[in-house]
Amino acid sequence: MIDFHQVEKHYGQFHVLKTIDLHVQEGEVVVVVGPSGSGKSTMLRCINRLETITSGGLTVDNITVNDRKTDINKLRKEIGMVFQHFNLYPHKKVIDNITLAPIKVLGLSKVEAEEIAMSYLEKVGIAEKALAYPSQLSGGQQQRVAIARGLAMKPKIMLFDEPTSALDPEMVGEVLDVMRTLANEGMTMVIVTHEMGFAREVADRVIFMDQGQIVEEAEPEQFFASPREERTRTFLSRVLSH
Amino acid sequence: MDFSILTDHFGSYMEGFYNTILSSLLALCGSFLLGALIAIFRITPVKGLRWFGTGYVEFIRNIPLLLVVYIFFYGPSALGFPLDGFIAGTIGLSVYTSAFIAEAIRAGIMAVPKGQTEAARSSGLNYAQTMVHIILPQAIKLVIPPLGNQFINLIKNSSVLTLVAGLDLMYFADGISTETYRTFDTYIFVAMFYLVLTLPLSYAMRVWERRLQRKY
Repeated sequence: MIDFHQVEKHYGQFHVLKTIDLHVQEGEVVVVVGPSGSGKSTMLRCINRLETITSGGLTVDNITVNDRKTDINKLRKEIGMVFQHFNLYPHKKVIDNITLAPIKVLGLSKVEAEEIAMSYLEKVGIAEKALAYPSQLSGGQQQRVAIARGLAMKPKIMLFDEPTSALDPEMVGEVLDVMRTLANEGMTMVIVTHEMGFAREVADRVIFMDQGQIVEEAEPEQFFASPREERTRTFLSRVLSH
Repeated sequence: MDFSILTDHFGSYMEGFYNTILSSLLALCGSFLLGALIAIFRITPVKGLRWFGTGYVEFIRNIPLLLVVYIFFYGPSALGFPLDGFIAGTIGLSVYTSAFIAEAIRAGIMAVPKGQTEAARSSGLNYAQTMVHIILPQAIKLVIPPLGNQFINLIKNSSVLTLVAGLDLMYFADGISTETYRTFDTYIFVAMFYLVLTLPLSYAMRVWERRLQRKY
């Protein structure tokens, strides 16, 4: 579904991604962990071309992401994205946040789009907030709206960029619950997170990145119980010991 | 203060006042449309347009208003199709103000967080849709206060029409003062006419700003 082949990325002198090879199957849940600045988010953002790659190959659903001939807006319809800071549209009501892209990009009627939006708001458990403005919602509620907004496009892939990092601790659970449900339903997901418990429970595969490289990838059981690489062990001992 | 000047020359005052309002209204629309266009040039990914936008703004806002008006008054007549003072003055005023409006709008657009664009683009909206539905509605809120200032400046700056015989309020007042020798009194009434325009405008801008503030 998603294929990185020898992907390199530079920001000027800075080598952000170093020879990334990664293959994500349909229906797979891949969780990416690693220290800050290790390139996790950058790698994720390459998938829908919020970041461009310097060299190598990257295909999503067999479409080359960085090809000039690729209609990027068409590709992006298939890829939902959830951001650390939610990025809801503050001037639009919750329901209008969700229906905008289905109406403008998929060409649905307002009625159809609202029906779909309501069904996803119910799914994430905040249908009663449909007519509120984002600023009237808690962080956890905003992030659930953001997930509903992504799902309303019926994407093939959902990308999550540290979806719980900006939340108060007591709101992390409600967002992870929604993501867990999605994972169980077979959605293809790539998740950048610091939630190790969640990674262990939900991931089909865990990727550890450090300094722009994929250092290790393994099934969660093995990854957390007996990591092969020294750098992974150091990282895990730091994040799990408290 | 001698009110007989106002009553005796009321017709002249009103004719000038009317032309000042007309010129200001035309320049207000013209400078807003032109300014918005230049602002979009300034932020578009297309390099040529960006350079043009930057050049336009830097050139226009760094020369005196009077010179801009002279360009549109003496320029065309040098090229053989003279414009009258009112038209040349109004065009000059529009062009001059548009440079400042372009900067205000550009600053407003730039102040909308980058995450908004990323969210919109990643959902498949194209550049234009993102601008229209996401960025501009948020930018307008940030742009209203500086825009209000520009519009008030524009009304006051319309007095430059006098210098190209643009038949505005100042122009008629100059006539009245030479006729009556009551220079100070004549111009006090001129100031009042300008206040009649600018005070309600500045009040209206404040109300509009507050109303948008409340919405979300």
